[in-house]
Amino acid sequence: MAAISPARLLTRGQLWRRRGTKAAPYAFIAPFLVLFAAFGLFPLIYTGYVSLHRVRLQKPDAMTWVGFDNYTTLLQDEFFWNSLKNTFTIGVISTVPQLCLALGLAHLLNYKLRGRTFFRVAMLMPYATSVAAATLVFAGLFGRDYGMLNWFLGLFGVDPIDWFNDKWPSQIAISTIVTWRWTGYNALIYLAAMQAIPHDRYESAMLDGANRWRQFRHVTLPGLRPTIVFTIIVSTIGALQIFGEPLLLQGGTSGMNGGASRQYQTTGLYMYQSGWQYFSLGKAAAIAWLLFLLIALVVGVNAAVVRYRARKG
Amino acid sequence: MTGVSQRKRLRSHDKPGPVAYAILVVATLVSAFPFYWSIIAATHTNSEINEVPPPFLPGGHTDSFGKAADQANIGKALVNSTIVSGTVALGTVLACTLAGFAFAKLRFRGRGALLSFTVGTMMIPPQLGLIPLYMMMAKLHWANQLQSVILPTLVTAFGVFFMRQYLAEALPDELVEAGRVDGASYFRIFWSVVLPVARPAMAVLALLTFMSTWNDFFWPIIALSQDNPTVQVAINSLGGGHVPDQSVILAGTVLGTLPVLVVFGLLGRQIVGGIMQGAVKG
Amino acid sequence: MRTPNPRSRALAALCCAVLAGSVLTACGSDDDSDNGSGGPSGGGQVTLSVGLFGSFGFEEAGLYKEYEALHPNIKIKQNATQKEEVYWPALQTRLGGGGDLDDIQGVEVGRIVDVVSNQADKWLDLNTLGAQSQTSEYLDWKAKAATTKDGKVLGLGTDIGPMAICYRSDLFQQAGLPTDRNELAQRWSTWDGYLDVGRQFAAKAPKGSAYMDSVTGMYNAMIGQQQTFYYDASGKLIYDQNPSVKAAFDTAARAAQDGLSAKLVQFQTDWDQAFAKGGFATISCPSWMIGYIKEKAGDATKGKWDVAAAPGATGNWGGSYLAIPKGAKHAKEAYELLTWLTAKEQQAKLFEKRGSFPSRTGAISQVAGTTDAYFNNAPIGQIFSQAAQKMPVQTLGVRDNDVKVSIQNALNSVEAQGVKPDDAWKDAKASVKAALG
Repeated sequence: MAAISPARLLTRGQLWRRRGTKAAPYAFIAPFLVLFAAFGLFPLIYTGYVSLHRVRLQKPDAMTWVGFDNYTTLLQDEFFWNSLKNTFTIGVISTVPQLCLALGLAHLLNYKLRGRTFFRVAMLMPYATSVAAATLVFAGLFGRDYGMLNWFLGLFGVDPIDWFNDKWPSQIAISTIVTWRWTGYNALIYLAAMQAIPHDRYESAMLDGANRWRQFRHVTLPGLRPTIVFTIIVSTIGALQIFGEPLLLQGGTSGMNGGASRQYQTTGLYMYQSGWQYFSLGKAAAIAWLLFLLIALVVGVNAAVVRYRARKG
Repeated sequence: MTGVSQRKRLRSHDKPGPVAYAILVVATLVSAFPFYWSIIAATHTNSEINEVPPPFLPGGHTDSFGKAADQANIGKALVNSTIVSGTVALGTVLACTLAGFAFAKLRFRGRGALLSFTVGTMMIPPQLGLIPLYMMMAKLHWANQLQSVILPTLVTAFGVFFMRQYLAEALPDELVEAGRVDGASYFRIFWSVVLPVARPAMAVLALLTFMSTWNDFFWPIIALSQDNPTVQVAINSLGGGHVPDQSVILAGTVLGTLPVLVVFGLLGRQIVGGIMQGAVKG
Repeated sequence: MRTPNPRSRALAALCCAVLAGSVLTACGSDDDSDNGSGGPSGGGQVTLSVGLFGSFGFEEAGLYKEYEALHPNIKIKQNATQKEEVYWPALQTRLGGGGDLDDIQGVEVGRIVDVVSNQADKWLDLNTLGAQSQTSEYLDWKAKAATTKDGKVLGLGTDIGPMAICYRSDLFQQAGLPTDRNELAQRWSTWDGYLDVGRQFAAKAPKGSAYMDSVTGMYNAMIGQQQTFYYDASGKLIYDQNPSVKAAFDTAARAAQDGLSAKLVQFQTDWDQAFAKGGFATISCPSWMIGYIKEKAGDATKGKWDVAAAPGATGNWGGSYLAIPKGAKHAKEAYELLTWLTAKEQQAKLFEKRGSFPSRTGAISQVAGTTDAYFNNAPIGQIFSQAAQKMPVQTLGVRDNDVKVSIQNALNSVEAQGVKPDDAWKDAKASVKAALG
């Protein structure tokens, strides 16, 4: 990917244009950079500034400097740690099954299928819904007393499950919504990567007498590795930011609390509660920054592991 | 695209059995069921939904759609969401193609640093900037106006990254160089060389941006109110002030999701193709 | 990839068409709405917006239509949010950021002290528009709560929430309990009595029905009978040293442990559905709950509901104010609408149609004879009036609402998750600390 170097010999006109040439790249990125700085970057940095203050939502101009108090308080706050734990467990139970399912579906979609476009579009449909709409629909299905899922389980003699109040069921309910929305998307990404694996690798594997499963393990999976790493990183970032699903599952004050005993309150949700129910903007900003640092850390570790294994492999 | 011929060869030996079909059909049903259920629920009264066993076929109750449209201002919300998502998609594609081209093919001071910085910002939780963003909108007297939800999302780091990855591969250096030799300015080259090559990726980016903007809800809920809502704001406020009637709520989600589903029905194949293409490039 | 294949080209064209089309139609309709909205200059036509939460019932009772008929130059637009805890943060965000507000905004009683003590600069002093003549018509405490120390009136009261118990006489009958409202009122003249009846109900309860919807309702009813609860008169937070708060918590927790509740969270979908399904037989019933029950339970249970005096025959839960934010576009017209909506005639009408109990003394005497056919012709006017007369003058606090929500969540965790009451109380205290700290 070589970049273009300006021509050596320049006429006067070209010289004039060369000045334009030097400025041109900046002109190309300017619209992006200006908008991004104004509406992306500035708010971000300002949030960092806010996190060092005591400030209420109603009076954002009245700030009192408190240094790192918000951060130290948070590190001793049992609810903050609880939210991290929940973010972690919900993240795991929504990311792992999601990616495994996606891998399996991609494998099936890679067959010579009748109606393959139909299946692909069908898998991707949930991706087209919003968190708000999907969660509203699922919340109805998950209802304890009159929800359809419990009715269905009841046909098999299963006692009604409290999908909102019991810790694991509520976290599973949230993961189900996440998984439903994103599995198809990831399946398509895996499918694309599978199709990019050169066919001769399969052929030589077959010559070695490898059955389908061994082909999958020894040709498909290694071929998919970069893609799998990519989806793991993206899904992990998404999982660490989960907040809409738990907020809307029960809704109202229970929703902001992440359930009556915060059994499914994620860190993103705790930030929302601190800012928009408790009105402590400073604390909310501090949570946001801690969350950011955590994401950076996780992605960094991820990348390091990948690099290490790549060097070893 | 080198994959096509290999894809054909790969497929020829892999014929799926009935089990594969069965699993795919089940997966399709799971994908589709929530949509189907919202249509069932929207076309039955609230008490019918809660019957045991629940209804499995759409009913003839149509009041809920009217009520949802009325209570949640869905009509205006659809218009607003179209404006917002359309503008954002257009803006993102333009700004990000420009920047993506520069990052992919032009040499300038600070390029690497700027690019990695841009990509790095994708890790930032979007909620992070909300508070100052609102203060800013209020100072500009833009609160509750559509520009308050358009401008902050008008460019995305993802968009730049996406276009950069695409152009780095799809746009041969020689084409740009040839343009330079002919004495064309970079803007002329962009117009007559880059744009035609970038078009498929731009279309995909436009579609993805349109959908994600349509579905964005956290910031719009804060920035807009019910009298000037986007679809997600309207869905969120459904049942406002009245009985939170399941049938009405789901009728609202049906109305709000339908346009995206229509786009999906029409362009599903291209969207699928786009995501898969982007996946290989990324 | 040098030449785009025809398919992608077609796709691109289609996208451009879709986008261009959307922008064009969008622009067109934008113009339309601009012409239609009619600003203040448009021939004297004024559109007033009213921002509310929950169920004030103005629209349902036809009050807006009536007012528009009386004032042809006024159009009223309501922005209603179902949940107060969604409504209030959004309003606060706009207040803080200086965003657009409605001409009239509803304020729940749990927030009024915050408004009076911390936000006096954000709301219009209604005295400047002539509210002096209004406040004297109110129950003294109701008006005082919305008045600042230096005498600014920041809101006028709509309703108050005198307490009773609403119950399903058909379910009581099936459980072999008396159904007469006077007899029941006597048996549950105390909260212990209420729980005794509950245990009898539970012993023979019809399938799928619990005694009460949620112990949080009962808790709020008990708190509503106290003079001081979360804050003392000096504004100090005392909820964790106040024996009556702990007693109410313990009683409610005991009811939860005895399995007397349907373990529902109030104002959530499952709770809504349980009204129609007969999921519970009693509910602590502030007068505004009357309107909720009718809407949620529907015609199927008409006549099966009844109302009896609550244990202690008094208490207050909820009630609201209407206020005008500074910078409202049509303050004068908004004030006229506000005083009309809260005038005694309208308050009386709202009680008859919706059950929202008046806060103006003139209206209270007007509704004393009201009965309600939906509730088996119960003399709701009399029951709620008596509750209102005995109502204590409550000491409200700045963050009452946050304390209440924290304790409610803790009680929900006891009833629905089996958390030990002691642990739940600790959780509640920690939550209050997180909220206020």
